[in-house]
Amino acid sequence: MEFRELLKTPDPILLDGGMGTMLQAKGLKLGEHPELAALEHPDWLLEIHRAYAEAGTQILCANTFGANREKLRRTGKTVEEVIPPSVAIAREAAAGRALVALDLGPTGQLLEPTGTLDFETAVDIFAQQVKCAVAAGVDLVKIETMTDLQECRAALLAVKENSDLPVIVSLTYEERGRTFLGHSPACAALTLEGMGADVIGINCSLGPREMPALVEELARWTTLPISVKPNAGLPDPGGAGYDITADEFAQAMADLTQLGVKLYGGCCGTTPEYIAKLKASLAGRTIREIPRHVPAAVCSPAKVVPIDRVRVIGERINPTGKKRMKEALLRDDIDYMLLQALEQTQAGADILDVNVGLPEIDEADMMVKVVKALQGVSDVPLQLDSTRPEVLEKALRVYCGKAIVNSVNGDAETLDAILPLVKKYGAAVVGLTLDKNGIPKTALDRLDIARKIMNRALNYGIRREDVYIDCLTLTVSAEQQAASQTLEALHRVKKELGLKTVLGVSNISFGLPARPLVNQNFLMMAMTRGLDLPIINPNLDAMMAAVRCYHLLMNIDTEARAYIAAYGNASVSTSITQAPAAQTAAPAGERTLSQIVSAGLKGEAGPAARRLLETAAPMEVVDDILIPALDKVGADFEAGRVFLPQLIQAAGAAQAAFDVIRESLRPGEEAANKAPIVLATVKGDIHDIGKNIVKVLLENYGYPVIDLGKDVEPAAVVEAARKHAAPLVGLSALMTTTLNSMEDTIRQLRQAGLPCKVVVGGAVLTAAYAQKIGADFYARDAKQSVDVARQVIG
Amino acid sequence: MPIVLTQLDTNEVLRYMGCPPEKAGEALLSQVEDCARELLEVVRPRWNWRTVNLAFEEGGVRLEGGLLLPGTALKAHLAGCDRAALFCATLGAEADTLIRRTERLDMARALALDCCASAAVEAVCDQIETDLQGKFPGCFFPFRFSPGYGDLPLEIQGELLDLLDAPRRVGLCATENHLLTPRKSVTAILGVAAGEIEQIKRSCLGCPAQGSCHYRKAGGHCGIS
Repeated sequence: MEFRELLKTPDPILLDGGMGTMLQAKGLKLGEHPELAALEHPDWLLEIHRAYAEAGTQILCANTFGANREKLRRTGKTVEEVIPPSVAIAREAAAGRALVALDLGPTGQLLEPTGTLDFETAVDIFAQQVKCAVAAGVDLVKIETMTDLQECRAALLAVKENSDLPVIVSLTYEERGRTFLGHSPACAALTLEGMGADVIGINCSLGPREMPALVEELARWTTLPISVKPNAGLPDPGGAGYDITADEFAQAMADLTQLGVKLYGGCCGTTPEYIAKLKASLAGRTIREIPRHVPAAVCSPAKVVPIDRVRVIGERINPTGKKRMKEALLRDDIDYMLLQALEQTQAGADILDVNVGLPEIDEADMMVKVVKALQGVSDVPLQLDSTRPEVLEKALRVYCGKAIVNSVNGDAETLDAILPLVKKYGAAVVGLTLDKNGIPKTALDRLDIARKIMNRALNYGIRREDVYIDCLTLTVSAEQQAASQTLEALHRVKKELGLKTVLGVSNISFGLPARPLVNQNFLMMAMTRGLDLPIINPNLDAMMAAVRCYHLLMNIDTEARAYIAAYGNASVSTSITQAPAAQTAAPAGERTLSQIVSAGLKGEAGPAARRLLETAAPMEVVDDILIPALDKVGADFEAGRVFLPQLIQAAGAAQAAFDVIRESLRPGEEAANKAPIVLATVKGDIHDIGKNIVKVLLENYGYPVIDLGKDVEPAAVVEAARKHAAPLVGLSALMTTTLNSMEDTIRQLRQAGLPCKVVVGGAVLTAAYAQKIGADFYARDAKQSVDVARQVIG
Repeated sequence: MPIVLTQLDTNEVLRYMGCPPEKAGEALLSQVEDCARELLEVVRPRWNWRTVNLAFEEGGVRLEGGLLLPGTALKAHLAGCDRAALFCATLGAEADTLIRRTERLDMARALALDCCASAAVEAVCDQIETDLQGKFPGCFFPFRFSPGYGDLPLEIQGELLDLLDAPRRVGLCATENHLLTPRKSVTAILGVAAGEIEQIKRSCLGCPAQGSCHYRKAGGHCGIS
């Protein structure tokens, strides 16, 4: 019987047990590669598979868990040499009694951002295995023992893009209910069902007694069949033993039938005896279909955001009408976007909209960079905002979790270009109630477009819960009757179509005085008419206050906990504040800005600069106060009177002052900026804190820094130096093993004939070595990097 | 045995930060203490170990299972040991994420967190070492030795991790360039000798502050180990 038919029967499905521990029991020695068993010990492998088949296993996993090119590299064998015989031996043992699965384990390297393996490389590694297994004739694929949801996604995409095979996807969790990387069963379920897995499961790490809580969490977030393949209890560190007997295992597993688990097997430490006893304990049991409904929700790998109340989408990462954001995009200043993200999250955003569309830049490339960087520092789910399908697809590929796509509209061409992507990557989608004819004037016409979008999405297999409709806010100063039409349309979409609703709010007040008043009240009106997802600036407390009050008054905020947490200590005020940093600034006593910088008092620096600006020109404050104060700290650092922490604190305080001063610069004044400096931690090196410290100091002195991050390819350094016409490139490396790649980067810069100077730094470098590898300067510390910049750029 | 860290040696953290403890003001000290608390709340130290027999060869020390640990430094270091306890330890990805996030908000704080994490992984290894020594009663132990010390190359990291089943047991991997990820992690070899051996201080070999140490630059030593 084919796997998908097997899933439809009412009976439990029996999987196999441990392979690695069985091979060890057969005599596999320490240091031998278990993935080569088909070549080196085919008889053992056949015996093990056969024993499982005889015990009642309905699906045998071929011994291909580690048969990927990364793990095989040390063995001298290829994927093509290992997978076919592994599959053939499993098939022979099955003898028609069982199906055979390609077993896909982790690559053995961590993906970005914790590791350095690139997502597309991971997809390619798995794709090679899948193609090989398809040729060898497997019945299904089992992705298992994954600890990184992103690696799971890579494997699942590889299966989907290279075969029609059914696929079981299984992660491994610690006792706290998370993977090593902190990913949760809920996020795995939402993400992987969306991407087309057939079964979602749990294997390894824990014993059967730890399974119920994990299974219950999975069941809340997926409608798919669930598989469970635990170890024979918990392992003993340092030993090979597990603490549960075959009888105990079988009993504990049989209890899981009550939770509706469909597939049963064992992982490390389990043997054919465990599987035989498991079969006996499951005999006669049928798996009840438990009706499950998964609510509307989006997620990152570690956080689910159910749309069960008003959820705020932060709007700040978008260049439209934002000069500073445009500059950041033009300068590849990803850090600025990350700061915007963290500020919005702290202010209470549940989801962040990401729009990086500027005509002057490669939007797809930037989108990928920003999505990766954001997911490296924040757990908040993202709304990927672009009109271009190719940008959306690239973003959806690298986004880990269930994202929102912003947006489609009622135009058939857009729907057919973007909805298949939404389906493939398991996202939710925003539908704008407009089409080729523009925005309909009436609520009824907008409702019609919403219905059309919904139906088209349903046709593509997208769940109704994953379609969010935006009834579009028009500027009330231009069309005063429009606001009521928007609200009416929103209400009817919610009530008649049962869809979640989304709305950009701030446009409503364009051209009016006291805009926050209008925005806040419009937001409140929209929420009472059924708005689920307002797109707002969460840094404006008036907006967040409206959301918190709505939750309080609608009895959603139980016991007013969130409201009291936000306002328990607040003095009553209805005024609008700019950003959270401004609120927390301590009153500045008697200290001068110069003293504040020396003492590294970040919180006081901004207000002090603001006071000075009342009487002095911005550039005077910079040239006469800030730079001399920094120089003094720098000189003290060199003389050993202050140390690295104090130097960085001073830089942080100066930065806070610069941020205030920047606001008062007239357009053009900043154009007098110095030439940019490109910084990178070289290919192969992942230790970049030193480089980041250098960056802070250089920015203090007014040098725009193009920060390429860590593990940077030499070619990327060359490209950035050329693109930004940088007179100075700074390279860092911490490990001796990566000095070669520093040398290579310098060589490529020279070969490209760029006129830039190169400064290098890092723990293992010396001046002599810097000279040997062709650098122009060696900087012992961050202060010396500034000295070099002054010498080269001025 | 699960390892729980409850506090860190702030003086050690300050030294890693490049600041002599006696020169740290109150604000810096309280920041370091605050960072230590924040870090210890999020990290989940994990470890695994196993015993291997050792064979001394011309080119280095061969572990049971065939892996050759090349060079002269480890060979000399393990003189008198016929077995070793291999272990790996990691603070987990949470430490990396916390530092990465903080770097965007406050670099001074990020430096403190980074150095707290270095001190934490050292403290974890100290606990493991004590724990392991207890498993070999009556034996003698040189200090723990890691790839990157002396002439023991980083290239062996991947194979050491395989021997310890580290990716599966504790979520610890090596990059293509043999660096450990998550970053705040260690692999080490603790020699086990039946008879008495010469006791050598660990000195600067494995110190996280190695490259940027002010004491070393001045030709001195911090006195930690």
